[in-house]
Amino acid sequence: MIFFASYSPLKLYRKIGLSRSIGLGLLSIIIISTVIGPDLVGHDPAKQDLLHARQMPNAVHLLGTDHLGRDMAARLLSGARLSLSLGILSLVTAAFLGISLGIIAAWFGTWTDRFLTSFADAILALPGLLLVLILMASAPGSWWLLYIGISLTLWVEFFRYTRQRSRIILAHPSVDASKNLGLSNYFILTRHIFPELRNGLFTISAFGIASAITAIAALGFVSVGIRPPMAEWGLMMTQLLPYWREAPFLILQPIICLVLTILSLHLSVGGFHKK
Amino acid sequence: MTLLSVKNLYVFIEDKQVDLLGPISFSLELGENLTIMGETGAGKSLIAQAILGSLPTGLKSRGDILLKGEAIDNLSQKQRSTLWGNIITALPQEPWLSLDPLMRSGQQVAETHRYLKSCNWKEAKKQTEQQFKKLDLSDTAQKRPFQLSGGMAQRVAFAAATAGDAELLLADEPTKGLDSHRHDKILSLLKAIPQKGDSLLTITHDLDLAYALGGKIIILKNGKIVEEGITHTVLSSPKASYTQALCAANPSSWPPLSSCTISSKENILVQSEKLRIGRNKIAFIKGLDFCLKAGESLAISGPSGIGKTSLLDTIIGSIKPMGGTLTRAEHIGKWEIQKLYQDPPTAFPPLISLKDNFKAVTKKHKMAWDQLLQLLENVELDASILERRPSNVSGGELQRLSFIRALIAKPKILLADEPTSRLDLITQETCLNLLKKLCREENIGIILVTHNQHIAEKWAHNHIDLNQFCV
Repeated sequence: MIFFASYSPLKLYRKIGLSRSIGLGLLSIIIISTVIGPDLVGHDPAKQDLLHARQMPNAVHLLGTDHLGRDMAARLLSGARLSLSLGILSLVTAAFLGISLGIIAAWFGTWTDRFLTSFADAILALPGLLLVLILMASAPGSWWLLYIGISLTLWVEFFRYTRQRSRIILAHPSVDASKNLGLSNYFILTRHIFPELRNGLFTISAFGIASAITAIAALGFVSVGIRPPMAEWGLMMTQLLPYWREAPFLILQPIICLVLTILSLHLSVGGFHKK
Repeated sequence: MTLLSVKNLYVFIEDKQVDLLGPISFSLELGENLTIMGETGAGKSLIAQAILGSLPTGLKSRGDILLKGEAIDNLSQKQRSTLWGNIITALPQEPWLSLDPLMRSGQQVAETHRYLKSCNWKEAKKQTEQQFKKLDLSDTAQKRPFQLSGGMAQRVAFAAATAGDAELLLADEPTKGLDSHRHDKILSLLKAIPQKGDSLLTITHDLDLAYALGGKIIILKNGKIVEEGITHTVLSSPKASYTQALCAANPSSWPPLSSCTISSKENILVQSEKLRIGRNKIAFIKGLDFCLKAGESLAISGPSGIGKTSLLDTIIGSIKPMGGTLTRAEHIGKWEIQKLYQDPPTAFPPLISLKDNFKAVTKKHKMAWDQLLQLLENVELDASILERRPSNVSGGELQRLSFIRALIAKPKILLADEPTSRLDLITQETCLNLLKKLCREENIGIILVTHNQHIAEKWAHNHIDLNQFCV
């Protein structure tokens, strides 16, 4: 309750600024509708109704129906569920991997650092999507490979940032002082390193989820990602592309969803360094 | 002719309408020299920033600032910046940090000539060469800042600041963090400015510098003028109680140490014979003999770069001596050699509250929290200070906190690396006296590294001048 008392919406807005307020507002709308939306809409995203294909938005189908008569709203929300959960899951994996390896590299230095850095550089040398494509080529449509591939491309960013910042922090006299006073490595980790990393990691995380979602959509669009009949934004774009002339409102929907999600993620961490 | 005149200047926080300093009034003639002195954190630098028009965001000034009879405080930011370099120039604090690390030093200075006087590159280079010759920098023009010694970098920064022949030079703490040799160099450069017919406004807490510069002086306390007048008169017969305290706190006027004998040979904590110290196989110091007993203080002095920090690292055991012997008493445990750092804010983890830090230290060394509060009371610190982060605590308070933090570990030896060089005179005296008192009470042997000869002689029982042991 104290939290709410001290952060009235107006105060929060003053504290974080316009762009972040818009970003966070948009993001919370997207997340809430992803969580509770499918139940509110009530339609099955896979149920076909060929007699009512390509309908304009109406009272029964809020956002219309696609070329097979499936409810667009239900499909968009189910796509959002898939993209967001896969994005967050890959991000958590990548962040865990990147942050721990980054701290290990900075802490131990010498050959550990050299080995990990060259490994990260090797991954960085491959274009991100290419790595996922190579993996997906072995088993198209595999959810697990998609997850592993995206995590593998995302962890490098976390690793490089964490390693670089931690090296600077560990060389700071205050760390020397803490070691001298006999404070544990746990203290150095949680009181010296993590507080300094936090803001940067937030930014990288938001951009990371955004690129994961874009990657899922891009792979879906070229038909290597999620397979039909699953509803996925990139896949929906491919399926609805032939009907863009008769029903442009259909293909626009997944595009707008994707743009808004990426935009909200980017905006929500924008202007972190301003007061 | 009056160059600068400041009337009823206040600097305040815009949101809260709280005055940080003021009212300040003074005037500065051409060819004159004015020094503003005061404690650290009294807002001295804000005066310079208000005159330049470069106050940090959130701070505003009111009152009149007249430059050559014209009000400049209501000019737009853009108009004010056209004054920079041409009429007003500023010598930044710790000038070596203000040089472009990747640009050759000659080029950096020539750039100032080129754009301030809008002459061509050839002319600019020629003028730079002349300026470098005068400053004894002729062979450094092709070097980059990291290849320069501190003193050279300082003269390059000085050359860049004065390239525009500005009539007013603002020098903000020009001697901060300098050893006595570099101190004299910058002093002679600053002294030459009024002689040339330009004006100098120095902001400092260095009493010796103020005395050597002469001219007029303003003493500030809590953002208000407490005394002003001719420097030599004010400093030799101070009237305000604060100025008197300031003069008495200068190490050169400290009373000499009353000889108290510390005998008992058994209490030797650390002893060295023909010690040879260096890093990466290069020796800095050779043939050093010293001995530290419990309750005793030892001062080590010498110019920067002579190996003082390496000596401390050798005593603490993080580097091995290159020759000779260093014997530590066997009863000294792992955490019983503690260190005090030069810059107090860098000795604490910056983003957590002090309480968080002290909780961990007391837990590690099994001290009750009440006992810590008692210690804080002894050094006249309020417990509420622990709720803050290090950046919100003044340097003097933070240094006292770091004494306390070191004491929690119940040390036998305390190594203090220039613990007061960034504090003003009065805070310095309080801190050093406190340090001595605490060490005597707890029977701790203390090694103090300082570049101030007076402190070394008058504060410590024994004094080693490293110049004699230099390789």
